[in-house]
Parts: sequence; structure tokens; C-alpha cells
Amino acid sequence: MTDSLTGRLSRLRHNNATVWITMLVASAASLVASFVLSVDALRLAEDPTTDLGCNINAVISCGTVAGAWQSQLLGFPNAFLGLITEPVVITLAVASLGGVRFPRWFMFSAQVVYTVGLVFAYWLFHQAMFDIGALCPWCMLVTLATTLVFFEMTYVNIRDDNLFLPRRLQSALSSAIRANLDLMVVVAWVLFLVLAVVLKYGEALFA
Amino acid sequence: MSKQSRIRTQELRQAQQEAARKEAKRRRLLTALGGLVIVGLVAAIIVAVVQATQGGDSPSSSAPGKVVQPANASDWSIPVGDKDAPVTVAIYYDYMCPACGALEAANGDELDRLLEDGTARIELRPISFLDKQSSGTEYSTRAGNAIATVADGAPEHVWELHQALYAEQPEEGSEGLSDEQIAEIATDAGVPSAVVARFTEDTYEGWIAAATEAAFDSGVEGTPTVLIDGERFEGDVYKPGPLTEAIESAAGK
Repeated sequence: MTDSLTGRLSRLRHNNATVWITMLVASAASLVASFVLSVDALRLAEDPTTDLGCNINAVISCGTVAGAWQSQLLGFPNAFLGLITEPVVITLAVASLGGVRFPRWFMFSAQVVYTVGLVFAYWLFHQAMFDIGALCPWCMLVTLATTLVFFEMTYVNIRDDNLFLPRRLQSALSSAIRANLDLMVVVAWVLFLVLAVVLKYGEALFA
Repeated sequence: MSKQSRIRTQELRQAQQEAARKEAKRRRLLTALGGLVIVGLVAAIIVAVVQATQGGDSPSSSAPGKVVQPANASDWSIPVGDKDAPVTVAIYYDYMCPACGALEAANGDELDRLLEDGTARIELRPISFLDKQSSGTEYSTRAGNAIATVADGAPEHVWELHQALYAEQPEEGSEGLSDEQIAEIATDAGVPSAVVARFTEDTYEGWIAAATEAAFDSGVEGTPTVLIDGERFEGDVYKPGPLTEAIESAAGK
């Protein structure tokens, strides 16, 4: 019966190790992407003329992405933020895999800070899509990985009741999680992002 | 346990079971709904990808089929200025390219002067590789077609229209200027209405597409690319001065 398969998948999904390994892989991917983007930013700073001419690749043109003010919102390349913050998430995931349980206030703070990071990542994604008008594969990897880390972190914090939520909300959310509704929302959300990119840039991507 | 309390326990249990059933039903409904949304999104992505692969092929593969060269143009270029001028300045550009707009803004007046005093002739080499940057309206091709049409029908207005199009340059990634806006700019630049009326015939779209291919085949890597007497100019084209100096030194001044 299909029930046993979905049941097994659901158990796997709620397995503690799955949660932390997903977070570990996503944060590591994000760190790699941030590193590549940081190196690129330094190269461009060294020689700004490298990408001044419009590139033949229609989606990435005239070095607009790297030159855009959004790419250095705080006065330095955004990717530096990833270099600073992702190792913390990696440490958190590895320690939790090893059985460490962090105090409630710690997990709550991690949630708050990571939520700010998520908002920033999506603001950048939006700017790249609709303002800068160019695709940047490493930036999209960061968007995806940030989404996954946020998803798993929120899952853990609701499961472990770390968010100081009103009782009724807390119980509603934990029952939604048991029903895998959160997983569904994330899958739908990621598909929605893919659809948006394909609709906007599909012609350039597949031509 | 008294009989009464036993009944009460039983009722309580029934109520709980009822609530659990309702909860399970609601959950199944939500799961089905979520599954439906996910299936719908996957289907939409597949459709979009298929459309993109097909739509992406057609403009580039069908357009070069009908390459019509505008009168007065040759070798993928539109000449401006005195054809006996000592220096030839070729500019590869795309009407959507912001860097080309910056070149024009910095050097437009100087180029005007060099054209007028007969120091230089300019070969405009419009290409359309940024077509994808105008939200599907292919602004680069439409603007390029307009300048080619003017080269064909009213060559004396080419330079004015060229400068006017950059003065009104749309933002990269926007929908570009509409056909009506291009026509208005051309009319304001003095292009006769009979020529303006031919813009929408799209006669030279194939020529622009072929010119784009020829440009990249010849080693052009991006826009703007400036050649002075065939030699690539490597100086700063985004501020007034260096380009003028290079042109004047080529003229022996």
C-alpha cells in the first residue's frame, strides 16, 4: 500500500539527522557560493574594466549585476555576509548532529537573525530579477540554500517549541508540521521561484 | 465507577474521536490541495520551458532568411558624414546597451564636431544581441530596424535619429520604447513621415540579425566596440577627450 511508502518517507523527513544534514548541506552550498561571489567581487574591484563591454550571453550583460548598487548594500560585497554567517549555521548543524542541544534563547536568536538573512536574500533576488534584469547562478544558489536552511531551522524551532509563541498558535503549527504541510509549502514555493525565472528568462536560458 | 460517569467517559471519548476524525479529514483536504498546487506548478514549468525552447529558436533562425540591405549601407554598416573624411570611426553598438548610451552621452558633441569639420566619417554598426533585455519586445531589433529604414529612405537624418534614440534610451530590462515612441522620436528628428511609416514593415530586421552574427564572427565581443581606421580603440570611451584625441591624431592633426 502507498501508505507505508508515504509513512516511511514522512518518518525519514522527520528524522532528526535528516533535518540537520539538510541544513548542513544547504549552508555549506551557500558558503561555497558566497566564496565564489566574494572572489569575483575582488577581481572586479581590482580591474573594473574586465566586464565593462556587454557580454554576448544575453542574460548577463555589461557587468550590470556586479556593478549594481544592490550588490554592495552595506558598502562591501554582500557575499562577505555569507562568509561570516554561514559557518555559524554549519557549526550549529554539525553540533546538533553530534547531539548538542542548544538553549531555547540561542535557537530563538538564530531564528531571528536567519529570518533577517532570508529577507535580505529575497530582496536581492527580487532586485536581480526585476531591477538589474540579469541572472547570476551563484546568487540563485544562495537564494535556494537560504530558503532550505530557513525551512529546517523553522521546523526545528517549532518542533522544539523554541519560538515563545502563543499556545494555540504553537499547537496549530506543530500539528501542521506533523502533517507535512510545511514541506508542501516549501516545495510549492521553490517551484514557484523556478517558474518565475523560467517565465522571465526562459527564452534567453534555453535559446 | 458509577454508571453515570462511565457514560460520561464514553461520550467524552466519542467526542474526541469525532474531533480527531474531523482533524484528519481537514488534513487530507489540505494535503490534496497542496498536492494539486504542486502538480500545477510543475506542469506550468514544463509548459514554460517548452515554450521557451521553441520561442527562443524562431527569431534567430527565421530572421536571417530575409536579409535586405538598406540602400546607402554596406558591409553591415550605415555611413554618416563626409565619405572622403580622412578618418573612419566604426562603432558597434546596441540601442539597449547602457554602456553605449554612456559613450554617446560622453562623446556625442565631440563626434558632432568631428563629423561637421570633416575630420571623421562614422560607420554605425547596430547589432541586436540585447534583444532579450526588453521583456520580449525585442527593442534592439526594432530600434536597429528604424535606423536602417532611415538609412535607406532619409540618410541625411540618420545621425540625428541615432543621437535622439540614445537621448531617450530606455532602461535595460524594461520593455524599451514602443513603436509609436520610436516613430515620434524619428519625426521630431526630421525624418519624413513616409519613411517613418515604413518602420513597422520590419524590412531590415533580418539585416540587423545577420549584422549581429557578422559582428561576433569578426571578433567583436561586446558593445560598445570602437574601431578607428580598423584599429580597435582601447581607451576610455565613457568620458569626453580620449576618443577625440585618438581620432584627431589618426587624422594627423
